[in-house]
Amino acid sequence: MHTQPNKLLWHSAFVAILLALALAIQASSDRINYQWNWHRVTPYILNTEPTPIFAEQNGNIIENAQGQLLFESESGDQRLDLSQFEQVMVSEGDTIFEGDQVASQPQWQFGPIIQGLGVTIEISIYSLVFAIILGLAFGLMRVSHNIVLRNLAITYVEIIRGTPLLVQIFIIYFFVGTVLELERFTSGVIALAVFTGAYVAEITRGGIQSIPKGQMEAARSLGMTYLQAMYYVILPQAFKRVLPPLAGQFINLIKDSSLVSVIAITDLTKAGREVVSGSFAPFEVWFTVALLYLLLTGSLSWGVQRLEKRLAASD
Amino acid sequence: MTRDYQGDDMIIANNVDKIYPNGCHALNQVSATIKRGEVVVVVGPSGSGKSTFLRTLNQLETINSGNITIDGTDMYDKKTDINQLREEVGMVFQSFNLFPHKDVLANVMLAPMKVAKRPKAEVEQLAKKLLIKVGLKDRMFNYPNNLSGGQQQRVAIARALAMEPNIMLFDEPTSALDPEMVGEVLDVMKSLAAEGMTMVVVTHEMGFAKEVADRVLFMESGQLLVDSDPESFFDNPTNPRLQQFLSMII
Ligand SMILES: Nc1ncnc2c1ncn2[C@@H]1O[C@H](COP(=O)(O)OP(=O)(O)O)[C@@H](O)[C@H]1O
Ligand SMILES: [Mg+2]
Repeated sequence: MHTQPNKLLWHSAFVAILLALALAIQASSDRINYQWNWHRVTPYILNTEPTPIFAEQNGNIIENAQGQLLFESESGDQRLDLSQFEQVMVSEGDTIFEGDQVASQPQWQFGPIIQGLGVTIEISIYSLVFAIILGLAFGLMRVSHNIVLRNLAITYVEIIRGTPLLVQIFIIYFFVGTVLELERFTSGVIALAVFTGAYVAEITRGGIQSIPKGQMEAARSLGMTYLQAMYYVILPQAFKRVLPPLAGQFINLIKDSSLVSVIAITDLTKAGREVVSGSFAPFEVWFTVALLYLLLTGSLSWGVQRLEKRLAASD
Repeated sequence: MTRDYQGDDMIIANNVDKIYPNGCHALNQVSATIKRGEVVVVVGPSGSGKSTFLRTLNQLETINSGNITIDGTDMYDKKTDINQLREEVGMVFQSFNLFPHKDVLANVMLAPMKVAKRPKAEVEQLAKKLLIKVGLKDRMFNYPNNLSGGQQQRVAIARALAMEPNIMLFDEPTSALDPEMVGEVLDVMKSLAAEGMTMVVVTHEMGFAKEVADRVLFMESGQLLVDSDPESFFDNPTNPRLQQFLSMII
């Protein structure tokens, strides 16, 4: 039991370093006289401001037989029961003009940061699905004996890996997107999927080639076609081996998705930029955004680790 | 087609040449005929082309010239479906090549279900019968990596038999085994021979050849030099290369 006190010591050292880092952040923000105002960020995450209810036409406030306040338009063709709202801001006999606030309704609403998070999740999931399809297809083409298929796959992978994602996003948005009249969200998904697909293709190829040749031979000698052997024998084994690099690639995908903000998709990063200018709390906003990305990537790698454990059954 | 073949010649190799892409001339004008129910053992020094010959018989290697007829079907006829032909030719490898992501039962059941498209219940019954036959019924739910080499090779034999082939090819099935496990695999092969299976066996087990083989082939440098019954092969070899080979291994 010699290691016990030692371990404790090292864990304490780790915690101490983290604390020191936190203090350093605090001290440096003090030096530039930064006022931390976390409460300024919260409305952008979860908005609890009551929604105002506006009159849609000119009209009057009347009371009906049950003593409830109603808004009645001048022409009499529109009536709005005001008793359904929590807070009524008018009283009987008031004259109302179009656009006046008559009541307000308390409610919960996700702020722009959470909406941006939603867009990031959505764009990541779509891109992920298409990246897997592209990566699998081109990975299989890459190991195929057909020269046309193999060269197509090599060309795709080399072009995509040899150019920056930001440039690819611009090309797809301004060129492909314009020619095919795509929405910006679709352009973003295509750019991310095509980019990640090239890396998935390389991972797939590596996985397939890491399976001993005898597996394919055994499968073929039993009468399986090449594709059957791939599907039932090679790919399931390759999948297990490529899971860790694949997970790394998907984590990159989530992070890379922040680049689509350059084509005005309001993802988490773009939402962060917008909120910074409205809230005057840049540090808090960017720390929040970073934390939310960390939450996404963290849950993904946690999920993959669990999958790995389950697949380890046959080892 | 092939299943209806009633003739006696199960394998006919005619002037087969195999040149690997690197220029290695692995088979040089090899001709042999193997009859229904025959057990033929192939011996020869390492690199003489034994594996290559065996692998041309189910087209794991294509040939450069000559022709091969399996179970009445010309392998290189344009109308021949090679996958269908392979269903009739089981193969057992030196390195077992079991599917490590599937348990023993699933290894045996995979091909009959996905290739022969037979119903699961029927295939499961067949697989269990075969696992009893190779003495591994109690290992049904083990994964290959948890089995000994001898056990893995017996599963591999059961897996090949599950396609109910008419021919079985064995490429040094006991060479990767610890000595104490060689017997259990040879016993399974002997019982298969006794049931009348047509077998081509590449092996260094001369005892097996003497006891079970109907004929023994000797290969060297890609050529088939001797094709004879085991008695004259081992007791009265006339070919000087064979004499030299036998003197080295005994
Ligand atoms: N895939 C291959 N590519 C090139 N040469 C090969 C290949 N497989 C075998 N050979 C060569 O073919 C010859 C015969 O090999 P093989 O059939 O494996 O012999 P054996 O099984 O009798 O030991 C050897 O010289 C070997 O180096
Ligand atoms: Mg060999």
